[in-house]
Amino acid sequence: MRSPGRLLAAVAGFGALGFAACATSPFQRAGNADDIAGALARSHPPAAPTRSLVFLVLGGTGGPRLSAYDLAASKVLWTQPTDVTTRVEVGATVLVHGTKGAGPSGTIVGRDLETGAVLWQRAMQPKERLFGYVLDGDGVFLVVQSSAAAGRPTGALFSLDARTGVERWHHELPSGRVAAPAARGGLLAVPLDSQYVLLFDGQSGLELGQVLSTEEAATFVRALPEGLFYGSRGLFLLERGTARGTRHSPGYLSARLPDFVRPVYWYDLYRPEQAEYSAIDRNRILWRVTVDGDRPQFRDGLAFVHDYRFFFAFDAGSGALRWAYGAPNSDAVASVDTGHAILFVTADGEIGGLDPITGARLYEAHLSGEMVRGASFDAEGFAPVGAAAASKPPDMLTALTSIIADPDQRFPALKLFAIEELGRQPGREVTAKLIDILQREGLAPLAYQKAGEMLVARRDAGSLDLMTAALRAHADYAEKRPAPPVEVLARAVGALGPLGRALAPDLAAHLRLPETSPAAAAEIARVLVAVGAQESLPALRDFLCLYRADSSYERDPTALVAVAEALLKLGGPTDRALLLFLAEEPHTATGLRTHLVRALGETGPHAGVTIQPTASARD
Amino acid sequence: MKRPGLNVPSLVLALVLSGRALPAAVSPTETAPAGATKTKGKTKGNAKGRTTTTAAPLPAARLESLRLALAGDDDGAAIDAATALGASGSAGAREPLVEVLAAGATSARAQAAIEALGKLSEAHLLGKDQTTVEVLDLYAGHRAPEVRRRAIRVLGTIADARTVPTLMERLGDAAPDVRAAAAEALAARREIKASRRMFALLKAGDAGVAAPLASIATPDLIPQIAELAGTIDDGIVATALGEYVKRADVPDGLRVDVLRTIGRLSGAAATTALVEYVASVPAKDDRPSKHEAQKLLDQRGADQ
Repeated sequence: MRSPGRLLAAVAGFGALGFAACATSPFQRAGNADDIAGALARSHPPAAPTRSLVFLVLGGTGGPRLSAYDLAASKVLWTQPTDVTTRVEVGATVLVHGTKGAGPSGTIVGRDLETGAVLWQRAMQPKERLFGYVLDGDGVFLVVQSSAAAGRPTGALFSLDARTGVERWHHELPSGRVAAPAARGGLLAVPLDSQYVLLFDGQSGLELGQVLSTEEAATFVRALPEGLFYGSRGLFLLERGTARGTRHSPGYLSARLPDFVRPVYWYDLYRPEQAEYSAIDRNRILWRVTVDGDRPQFRDGLAFVHDYRFFFAFDAGSGALRWAYGAPNSDAVASVDTGHAILFVTADGEIGGLDPITGARLYEAHLSGEMVRGASFDAEGFAPVGAAAASKPPDMLTALTSIIADPDQRFPALKLFAIEELGRQPGREVTAKLIDILQREGLAPLAYQKAGEMLVARRDAGSLDLMTAALRAHADYAEKRPAPPVEVLARAVGALGPLGRALAPDLAAHLRLPETSPAAAAEIARVLVAVGAQESLPALRDFLCLYRADSSYERDPTALVAVAEALLKLGGPTDRALLLFLAEEPHTATGLRTHLVRALGETGPHAGVTIQPTASARD
Repeated sequence: MKRPGLNVPSLVLALVLSGRALPAAVSPTETAPAGATKTKGKTKGNAKGRTTTTAAPLPAARLESLRLALAGDDDGAAIDAATALGASGSAGAREPLVEVLAAGATSARAQAAIEALGKLSEAHLLGKDQTTVEVLDLYAGHRAPEVRRRAIRVLGTIADARTVPTLMERLGDAAPDVRAAAAEALAARREIKASRRMFALLKAGDAGVAAPLASIATPDLIPQIAELAGTIDDGIVATALGEYVKRADVPDGLRVDVLRTIGRLSGAAATTALVEYVASVPAKDDRPSKHEAQKLLDQRGADQ
């Protein structure tokens, strides 16, 4: 057994080691607000944009190519044959992209922005892994992880001349756990070890400050005209107050969004595969902010969601849906919020633009016969002139219905959301659409359930005629007409209370139809009681007599019990007599007989006095 | 069937309220439906040429014992009782069968009772009794397809226009056997108005309606049936056309055209249709269509 003295000595030893580690920590100045403020003061605001370009990574029969497309002129400027893998980044006169991936076999290519001609290439070294690159002014900045030396991988930040690719300087990073950089006005930001963001001078490579994110991982840094941002599940505007970032910082911002939205505010820059054009480009949040002092707010109070073929605008504060737009034919492979328009490019070559406020189409161009694999925009501030007045905002119901009806099975959560949103919209038309959805074949069970819930919750007394029509449209194989969603319609009728009584005969008619499930029959019976539909007694009696001895109800007599209860509550002495007969008749399903014995005893003229069951009922 | 006033268990209610709950509710006195002749074992033609079986009464004791067995604990005995009642040739056999159905029974017992009613109907002993029609109508909407099929078959034999809406409705049943039974019943009743609905089913490849449709199809429907070749199984088209040419009311010139269409269809069903047609024509009948059918058969044989 170790003595207490030895234990204390061991603890003291660890303490000493800890102090030594702290003394040499490369992150000693992490969270220093003065350092951050000083670094930001050195950054100059970006120049006003002069271009509106989109760089299209093309595939298909024309082979792998890169095209520059001028949005303002609606024309292709140039096309170069090349297999672009990692994302195109654009500087003042040069663009950079990767080929052959981000690994050791990858190559970074610098091209002339005017012509697309190759200016330089830099092959990754063996045991090097490219995490990302950014252009700022006349420089290109790379973050690379190297496993060349023994031990843990190391990280380094490289500065190259954007026109020649010649290295200007490089800086060994204090950790090998690195992420892709961002740059704004001469200031570089590099995330490290998930919780730090190191700031560097772009000219000299001098480290200027260290940000510490204490509550959320800092998986991205992003430069925008309105500021430099970092974050993961939310975003922090980089400023003095977010040098040590918490969710309570004034500079912290996150949007309230529905469950189907993946909270991806920007690429996870620690994952080099996200530097390639991939599904992450098709499923993320688009956002811009306005800054008031040290407080950012989502521009116009909106956050946008790109979900493959669909775009949504949400009130960032309440999560309320403002508009929805569906690209008609194929996925949007890339998108951007320019501040004045939501631009996107679809896989089949459509270039589109939407009004951020209304969702109306602002821009439309087509690259016929092209297959687009990915795209990068250099179109800050681009807003198509005059198009807003001519276009019409998308119809919410049409957009939501098209999402629900979409045969694509990739978006179950999105469909649930669309059904829920549809149900929240006012009007008879919505009730009609919900009924229509409920009659569609192949609807996922959860979607069916959600549509039913929304229909019931509407309590739409103004659509009684629609429900009547739906109930009367019985299943017909010859007419290729499926059975109406009787169980849900019954619940919807029940939710209307006495107003639903007018539909009781149409509901009761389903008790005599073969396609009415036991569950639906039980629901119908409950609703007939709820609306006091005494005129339905004959149908209830029919059902009970037809199935009371049916072996299929032996295991689960719920429907029989519900119908018997309805007869007991709605009927008179004659129905009591019928129920008494059924309670004593030995062929009646056991569960029903047991229930009847109890129920008749509880509700009879001598309620409370237990009716002695007959021998067969006891059995 | 549209039956706003239907209330089958009213029979049960009446029995219950009168203190004559099954099986004690049975009247020991045999009652035959109005119009039924009580001359045992004899048949005679009525004014419309329809043959009516005269109903022989079952002895009261025998009827009572069958009624008891029908409502008793033993399913096997109940089924035997139902069978006996159906085969009794007695109009009084109807009531216990209807009672057991109205009060509800196990599936096997219900099917036996329906079958027994069918036997009585074949012997023209059901008449147009409203309760019987209503009970059968109720069972035509039973969840079990086999029960529905049997009920439809019996309903089809009852010469009562009230059964037609149900038969038409069951043409759209989800179960093919039920659709086929409804189609056969409607065709047997020469319900021409059912042909459009049957054609819709044929178009969807429903083999069960092919022969019934052919038996009531008007000439204008035949080209449309022929045009289905290639869109549905050729055998179904051949069956429909093959049945059509056997009809006595079809002009022989049209038969020849239809037979040629059958000759162009592939498969054994087309050959069968031609063979059956040739066989259906009396030996001494030398109509051109018979020669055409034989020629087509010879060609098919040569092509093998």
